[in-house]
Amino acid sequence: MAASSDKSNVRSANVRTALILLSIALVFFFGIIFAKFVGDASTGMTVIGFAILLFLVVTIGRSVRRKK
Amino acid sequence: MSSIPHDPAADHAHDDHAHHPTGIMRWITTTNHKDIGTLYLLFSLTMFFVGGTMALTIRTELFQPGMQVVHPEFFNSLTTLHGLIMVFGAIMPAAVGFANWQIPMMIGAPDMAFARMNNWSFWLLPPAAIMLVGSFFVPGGAFAGGWTLYPPLSVQAPMGMDLTIFAVHIMGASSIMGSINIITTILNMRAPGMTMMKLPLFVWTWLITAYLLIAVMPVLAGAVTMLLTDRHFGTSFFNAAGGGDPVLFQHVFWFFGHPEVYIMILPAFGIVSEIIPTFARKPLFGYASMVYAVASIAILSFIVWAHHMFTVGMPAAGLLFFMYATMLIAVPTGVKVFNWLATMWRGSMTFETPMLFAIGFLFLFTMGGFTGLVLAITPVDIQLQDTYYVVAHFHYVLVAGSLFAFFGGAYYWLPKWTGTMYDETLGKWHFWTIMIFFNITFFPMHFLGLAGMPRRIPDYAQQFADWNMVASIGAFGFGLSQLIFVYVLIKCIRGDGAKAPAKPWEGADTLEWTLPSPAPYHSFETPPVVK
Repeated sequence: MAASSDKSNVRSANVRTALILLSIALVFFFGIIFAKFVGDASTGMTVIGFAILLFLVVTIGRSVRRKK
Repeated sequence: MSSIPHDPAADHAHDDHAHHPTGIMRWITTTNHKDIGTLYLLFSLTMFFVGGTMALTIRTELFQPGMQVVHPEFFNSLTTLHGLIMVFGAIMPAAVGFANWQIPMMIGAPDMAFARMNNWSFWLLPPAAIMLVGSFFVPGGAFAGGWTLYPPLSVQAPMGMDLTIFAVHIMGASSIMGSINIITTILNMRAPGMTMMKLPLFVWTWLITAYLLIAVMPVLAGAVTMLLTDRHFGTSFFNAAGGGDPVLFQHVFWFFGHPEVYIMILPAFGIVSEIIPTFARKPLFGYASMVYAVASIAILSFIVWAHHMFTVGMPAAGLLFFMYATMLIAVPTGVKVFNWLATMWRGSMTFETPMLFAIGFLFLFTMGGFTGLVLAITPVDIQLQDTYYVVAHFHYVLVAGSLFAFFGGAYYWLPKWTGTMYDETLGKWHFWTIMIFFNITFFPMHFLGLAGMPRRIPDYAQQFADWNMVASIGAFGFGLSQLIFVYVLIKCIRGDGAKAPAKPWEGADTLEWTLPSPAPYHSFETPPVVK
């Protein structure tokens, strides 16, 4: 029972990590097209800045939660 | 990395239970990381020969001045497809093949985190390769504007360009899926006690490489998507006629393209960092500094892209920034080279084939790094832009860098993969022949470039004839030498050789060497405890 619960915990952790990584890839893909579509260099920087900020918030948040 | 003692109680009694289909279905439906690693490696070897055949055709045409063998347009298609195939079809899949085979075994995981996605990641590649090579046979032929796909040529090119765009999309998706898998596996599936700072350096380099891939592959995919809409849907992202900016594409492309160089070289650093301590019989010197150096190289790779564009035109402050930022990369790279040398210093070294390749890598990659520093100097780069000096530089980095390390890695792990020791004499013949022929091929290109011979031309002035002839002879020697490797590989796969023990290398101390040789189909189903 404990082994299957461990496996399911690892599985959920894997899916969470994969979704975070996928979201980064999608932000970069659509971000670059959106930034060029708008035609403003500062939009591109904002998109990348937001992506990095989002990643930091999520990873720091997860780390803090785990320590609690 | 220092040695990793692990719990001997974690045996492999149940590892041999290989329940899998047989025949062709085994390979199509497999979710086993070892099978998929094998598929990646065989695919990359095949594409290496396809791209290599194109290179030999290019060198045949350049054997002497004048037009002999191919039409100029086809020559340009060959240079374009040679670059694309070697980067996306040979080097990157080879690195992923090593990752698939080694990472789970090195961290004590039973398999990759997403086994089915791993299968899809691989099986996306053959259709992409078929599209890329198939573009030769569509009306107008393959794209002929260079692997960088610059507009306006790429906006105006015939149908072959569309196939190239779709191939890049598919290979990009495959890389992103593979990277997600690798990062998730490393972060979540390490054996108990395997802390991040106990990871073998090969695993560290791949973790950082995978982050690089996730950051830059979507940018390339976005760029080629915009090319596609410019071509067929009336947008004007890069089409100057509609108010677009072709230079914008160059910025976006190289934002992908420069980190891509490190995507190809960092796994090679990882392999060399496993081989040198093993054959020097010493722990890797400065493990922590090696990890930080790899991370620094990866971060710096994002802020140097415009050194590929010094001649395009930018403000003086921009030129200075990109020049100094590029030079800065020499610092963490120098740390790595110093640490490899320090690991060998006073070690009990022996020179089996993997070690020869690692030392060959060290020597030739450092030369490529030095010519990179030369090209980082803006005024010099403006002189040498688009000459054979650049061709020599990036072949020293990518062939003598990535390829030599991958051959070293293949010889190093072949006993574990196949259960048979490779033929040491033939391995050494392979090393020395390609070491000699590589330098005969690419060293003269420095002279040609300094004398002003432009790249991507099928014909050239008489003054360049002698060195071109030498380079072409070297290229054929280099190409034919690879047949030695194929022979060695076939011998190992057929079990024609001495049986490999679990740990054929006395100095090896990572987890995969605790498994029997060949590695069982399922390994570490009970995680080892690393102390």
